[in-house]
Amino acid sequence: MSDVVLEVRDLVKHYPVRRGLILRRTVGAVRAVDGVSLALRRGSTLGVVGESGSGKSTLARVLVGIEEPTSGQVLVDGTDVSTMSRADRRALRRDVQMVFQDPYTSLDPRMSVSEIVGEPFAIHRTIPRGGRDRAVRELLELVGLDPDHANRYPHQFSGGQRQRVGIARALALRPRILVCDEPVSALDVSVQGQVVNLLADLQAELGLSSVFIAHDLAVVRNIADSVAVMYLGRVVEDGPADSVYDGARHPYSQALLSAVPVADPTVRLSDGRGILLEGDPPSPVSPPSGCPFHTRCWLAPTLPEASVPVPEGEEVQARRVPPSCSGEVPLLVGAGGHHAACHFARPLAEVRR
Amino acid sequence: MTGAAPLLEVTDLAVEFRTPGGVVRAVDGLTYQVEAGRTLAIVGESGSGKSVSSLAVMGLLGPTAHVTRGTARLNGTDLLALPPREHRARCGQDVAMVFQDALAALNPVLTVGFQLTEALRARHRISRGEARQRAVELLDLVKVPHARERVRDYPHQFSGGMRQRVMIACALALDPKVLIADEPTTALDVTVQAQVLRLLAEIQAERQMGLVLITHDLGVVAGVADDVTVMYAGRAVEQAGVLGAFRSPAHPYTRALLQSVPQLGSRTRLPVIPGRPPGPGDRPAGCPFHPRCALAQDVCRADPPPPLVEAAPGRWSACHFAGDVLRGAAVPAETTPEGDPR
Repeated sequence: MSDVVLEVRDLVKHYPVRRGLILRRTVGAVRAVDGVSLALRRGSTLGVVGESGSGKSTLARVLVGIEEPTSGQVLVDGTDVSTMSRADRRALRRDVQMVFQDPYTSLDPRMSVSEIVGEPFAIHRTIPRGGRDRAVRELLELVGLDPDHANRYPHQFSGGQRQRVGIARALALRPRILVCDEPVSALDVSVQGQVVNLLADLQAELGLSSVFIAHDLAVVRNIADSVAVMYLGRVVEDGPADSVYDGARHPYSQALLSAVPVADPTVRLSDGRGILLEGDPPSPVSPPSGCPFHTRCWLAPTLPEASVPVPEGEEVQARRVPPSCSGEVPLLVGAGGHHAACHFARPLAEVRR
Repeated sequence: MTGAAPLLEVTDLAVEFRTPGGVVRAVDGLTYQVEAGRTLAIVGESGSGKSVSSLAVMGLLGPTAHVTRGTARLNGTDLLALPPREHRARCGQDVAMVFQDALAALNPVLTVGFQLTEALRARHRISRGEARQRAVELLDLVKVPHARERVRDYPHQFSGGMRQRVMIACALALDPKVLIADEPTTALDVTVQAQVLRLLAEIQAERQMGLVLITHDLGVVAGVADDVTVMYAGRAVEQAGVLGAFRSPAHPYTRALLQSVPQLGSRTRLPVIPGRPPGPGDRPAGCPFHPRCALAQDVCRADPPPPLVEAAPGRWSACHFAGDVLRGAAVPAETTPEGDPR
């Protein structure tokens, strides 16, 4: 068996945009995930970061099989999921489980905690009815909840405790892979750390591999071994976490890292330090041509390549970027496992020189 | 704090909710002040009472909540003692508020131009043309591109960041002296958050407004605030200039909260505060932080919650051991800013 437990290749997920009440014509597509390739190594954590609309949650849903990809492959232990039989796929569901973002809406308010955590046993019949109560108690203990609270309902728990219930449910079938979609973003800072540490401990204890999706770069920093930065449905940079955080090469990753507010009062916003991006991320319905980031890129207009003469008859744009940025989709390239999808990728230190 | 006369001075504010389970005190003796041209951050976790206290100042509490104690003086006039009509008239005019969720705070069936000038038209007789002109100016002020065309648009036609700018413009319509912003960037992406925070800081400096910024994000506090009030369980537990509070916190909660913020610098196991913040209905006796506090002694459990006392000049803390915490919490000098671009 190879070292890679979960892999996606050229994954694409488009959602059709339809018009009309009777004749539902398809007039376009939301290109939520637009050609993503990633690999998760055994026992490691892959962090996926990006802003809203970057496609990171859609990616999670495809990984656990809630959504079918439009094209591309999802491989578990090297086997393409789409070629599997129904029975094999059902078994696979046990191996890849998900922790959802919102502990307030992802738990059924009318089910007790023991019913919620025990439901996977009822569906997959991995444990006979008689043994379920004990299994549920063990799971609750594993995630740091009082097993005597098994008969309580979700509203009787705090946000952090509910997220623990969600984690217990995800672990019920002894999965090998955990996909966590913004597992701590709804929690208070003082509680976030508890849940992140719990996930890290469980991972070591149970030998899990996990995908950790979050918009909070600092949280991902403290749990991920490798990291992928997404923008408009594509991975723009990926690599070992230390390498990406300490030496980001893509101008978007650099801007994203610099926009994270740092809890240090000597770094003032009014200092004008940090890279300030203009505008909002474009719509995934009509992503820009070429590099998806070129419309907001802070680096492109400053490059000497941006001032090439404009062909006759063409309008001179106020914001000029190198023709390759607006014309060609950059590929993920790099060395040492650290890749960036930018025609002009380089560490920030070199840019500033 | 500079010693200038405060614009807004909240003293000993208490707010209670009547619930089926009994009376719940959401805010219990909050005191703060904000001066012209300065930014006060009120920071706290969910249930700390930070939002309820500002709704009380604005006279926007729902029917189940009421102010049981305290004053909120704006230029010397106690807003809370005014009849509701007058209180409402003052709010918007002298003190205005920006809410977290612009999509919920703006009316979806009215154009933003209409909403921008609603407060203005309610108070002054102005023509339609003047109102439109003013709306365009306001959108320009918050740097919404193509303001002249966009005043005719509806809130859903704006992106999240632009919508937040529209709401800031609404709040600025009557040129308030104090702006209360309740988690104004929490719903935004981090690159857009940076834009909106910078805009707020610019406008505040230009107009010498007093800004009260309510947030849970210590990074935001560090980036824009001059002074900080840390709330826990309905009370202010620490008040100080932002440098002092971050460098050498005088309350164990502030210290633990600062330590629990995940850092970008390197991968570490996150330090945590055990337990969770108490809700308004289940606050412990004694110092409300004692069940989670590493320093808690018998006095913390037995005595009533300690009041805010000045542990050192300009450093207020509501802890029996404020002096010890302050002395023991010195942050090593090498804690310097992360390598930052440009």
